[in-house]
Amino acid sequence: MDVSQYLEIFVEETREHLQSLNENLLVLEKEPENKDTINEIFRAAHSLKGMAGTMGYKRMQNLTHNMENVFSEIRNDKMKVTSDLVDTLFQCLDALEAYLDNVVNAQDEGTDDNEPIVKLLNDFLNGQGGARETAAEKEPPAQSQEPSASEDSFKNVVFSEFERHAIKEARGKDMEVYGIDVHIDPNCILKAARAFLVFKALETKGEIIKSVPSTQDIEDEKFDLEFKMFVVSKEPLQSVVDAVKNVFEVKDATGEVITINDEIKEEEKPAGEPAESAEKPETQPAAPAAGKTAAKGKPSGKPVVNRSVRVDIEKLDVLMNLVSELIIAKNGLVASNTAEQTQHSQSFNEQIEYLERVTTNLHESVMNVRMVPIETVVSRFPRMIRDLSKKLDKKMELYMTGEDTELDRTVIDEIGDPLMHLLRNSADHGLESAQVRKEKGKPEVGSIFLDAYQDGNNVVIEVRDDGAGIDVAKIRSKAIDKGTITLEQADSMTDNEIIELLFKPSFSTAEKITDVSGRGVGLDVVKSKIEALGGDVECHSVIGEGSTFTIRLPLTLAIIQALMVRLGSEQYAISLGSIQTVEDIPVEDVKFVQGKEVITLRGSVIPLIRLGELLEVRDMDEEPETLTVVIIKKGDKQAGVVVDSLIGQMEIVIKSLGKYININKMISGATILGDGDIALIIDANSIV
Amino acid sequence: MDGTKARNNTAAKQYIVVRLGNEQYGINIKYVDNIVRMQQITRVPKAQDYFVGVINLRGEIVPVMSIRRKFGIDDDVFGGSTRIIIVKPEQQAIVGLIVDSVREVVTLEDDQVEKNNINDNSDGQAYISAVGKNEGELISILNIQTLLSEKEPV
Repeated sequence: MDVSQYLEIFVEETREHLQSLNENLLVLEKEPENKDTINEIFRAAHSLKGMAGTMGYKRMQNLTHNMENVFSEIRNDKMKVTSDLVDTLFQCLDALEAYLDNVVNAQDEGTDDNEPIVKLLNDFLNGQGGARETAAEKEPPAQSQEPSASEDSFKNVVFSEFERHAIKEARGKDMEVYGIDVHIDPNCILKAARAFLVFKALETKGEIIKSVPSTQDIEDEKFDLEFKMFVVSKEPLQSVVDAVKNVFEVKDATGEVITINDEIKEEEKPAGEPAESAEKPETQPAAPAAGKTAAKGKPSGKPVVNRSVRVDIEKLDVLMNLVSELIIAKNGLVASNTAEQTQHSQSFNEQIEYLERVTTNLHESVMNVRMVPIETVVSRFPRMIRDLSKKLDKKMELYMTGEDTELDRTVIDEIGDPLMHLLRNSADHGLESAQVRKEKGKPEVGSIFLDAYQDGNNVVIEVRDDGAGIDVAKIRSKAIDKGTITLEQADSMTDNEIIELLFKPSFSTAEKITDVSGRGVGLDVVKSKIEALGGDVECHSVIGEGSTFTIRLPLTLAIIQALMVRLGSEQYAISLGSIQTVEDIPVEDVKFVQGKEVITLRGSVIPLIRLGELLEVRDMDEEPETLTVVIIKKGDKQAGVVVDSLIGQMEIVIKSLGKYININKMISGATILGDGDIALIIDANSIV
Repeated sequence: MDGTKARNNTAAKQYIVVRLGNEQYGINIKYVDNIVRMQQITRVPKAQDYFVGVINLRGEIVPVMSIRRKFGIDDDVFGGSTRIIIVKPEQQAIVGLIVDSVREVVTLEDDQVEKNNINDNSDGQAYISAVGKNEGELISILNIQTLLSEKEPV
């Protein structure tokens, strides 16, 4: 079978399963007895195995199969979850990830058999000794579990009066009623079509009286990977089941004879799995409770109806570009409407306003589609911290909040590495060893916090630790040693300025280079990466109490609401998100503090920035009696930006200035105005 | 124009001949995306001084540089024949070059082109990769890569 067309789906879904395994293993390590988690893990491992098998990745299948065996033992209470076991399982996940990377890069899983890991797994299995004796007769325990779950659900099916009647009638005619549990291959794309073929196949054997979910739902593909059919037929069960199994992409089908009495009871017939009899004594007494367990197990196992669509990010980019074009065109229309002296009819103006509303909404919707919760990036960090904790032999715990904060997809893709750097830094340099912490009277287990939240048009991500903090004196002397700064410079620099030095290329203060960090390529990479995304990063640190790295990122990258201002004959745009207020300040209210212009506004002293001078605008207006001051804010810092006049608010499309021109940090891009002119966009964050 | 003279010859290259002051320069046609008239240029503060600013080329923002400023000769005087040559040295990178006027497209055989042996950097010699001879006139072939590179070539 040619599976290349399914490759993309396979990769995506495998990633998801691996992530879910990672998360659940972490939970399991803390709560070894948590049955729900074990079931979840088992399901994910099982799906992985199935998918890898269908795609023909034998090594991957083999490894997952072994993992599954282990999980199955755990699930059956034949094995205890130990820290060693979790370690090994994590190794398995890493190996699987390596396979997956190979698949992505080379369309092949590679040749590493990962025998040591498989052996470890088997050692765990065999290490059970006596406890396993009874289980040993079973086939692969994984498979024997499968049908038992489905039996429960057969019992759980409620027949309507009409269906009961049909069943009774059938019995009268010497026909049997069979319940068939059909499993569709996880990689199957047209599930409904396969289901249809199953229907067809069954119709040749007998009459279908019921299906779960309903026939309509199955046609609409509103089912997961399995569904149940109830058939009355004269043929023996095995032949009916075989007919279903012959349908392409049906992974498995099991069937049993259904008997309807007043009290629901059934006999089961082994269909394909000879090991079932071993299971029987266990399931029988459980029958009265079956309704309960099935109801509990179901919702977590099968997401009811999946209402989402996977879309290639490139298609979204195209859509976004079209929306940008549309907004520019709309701005042009608005500009020409206001520029022309002739009075347009009222309805024309109304239509233009309507168009404006629609484009704004359209833009918001497209932006929303592109938004991804930050969770997709940070969810792998708990696992990383756990590994680091073992590697560095320090006790630490990661606390995350605001994982549901959303960011543009392009930002999400890029933010992972910088965050990882910062977390590693905190773990390696920030936190002290357990012993040192004890001496200092801190809790032995160090804490690392990762907080994300939205702040106006920005998203802020903070990486915080309660470790040793940054030793400013040490950096100062190191910087002098390295010749980064001179002695005189060092004296005049504030602590914050010294900390800023950490972001300079090749400046690492770690005394010994470890595997984790300390090669001097950390923070400067973080900074450049985040600045490339239009954000910035800051560091605050209190020695002995810990350090905080604050990353500030723009919410959207492409289209923003901006205030247009005029400086001389030039127009500039300032993002509305960073603007607090606009004030008219009489010239005489401007005071001087340390030779710098400041104003007092509602009790706070705000430095004044002459934007015209900063940007070297040549034809600034002569100093008027009152200054137009745009108050911008960044975090808790404020600044007043002096401009010649305000033009108005506008929705602008951010465009890059191209590769060759070096632009100052103050300018974050350019935009095309309605009349075709270009206005540069001022990055308020960089001038505060 | 003799642009069709040697179309079959693979060793021949086509150049757009432009004028800067009294001199003629050739730009390999494979880099040229477009030629537009002079238009409103928006100044970009604090950029390299040879970048005059940016223009709006059908919705795309294109930085425009002055070859004269880069060469260190008299600044441009914009006139009716001033043109901006839009060059695209690589994918996704586009830049405009201001020239006094555009003359013609010529096809030069390899034997009509001589490699530039002047190594000093006076008047931007390092940006000239070769000199072509066409009907008794000399055409300095611009090296687009070094022209756009940040560093002053040695």
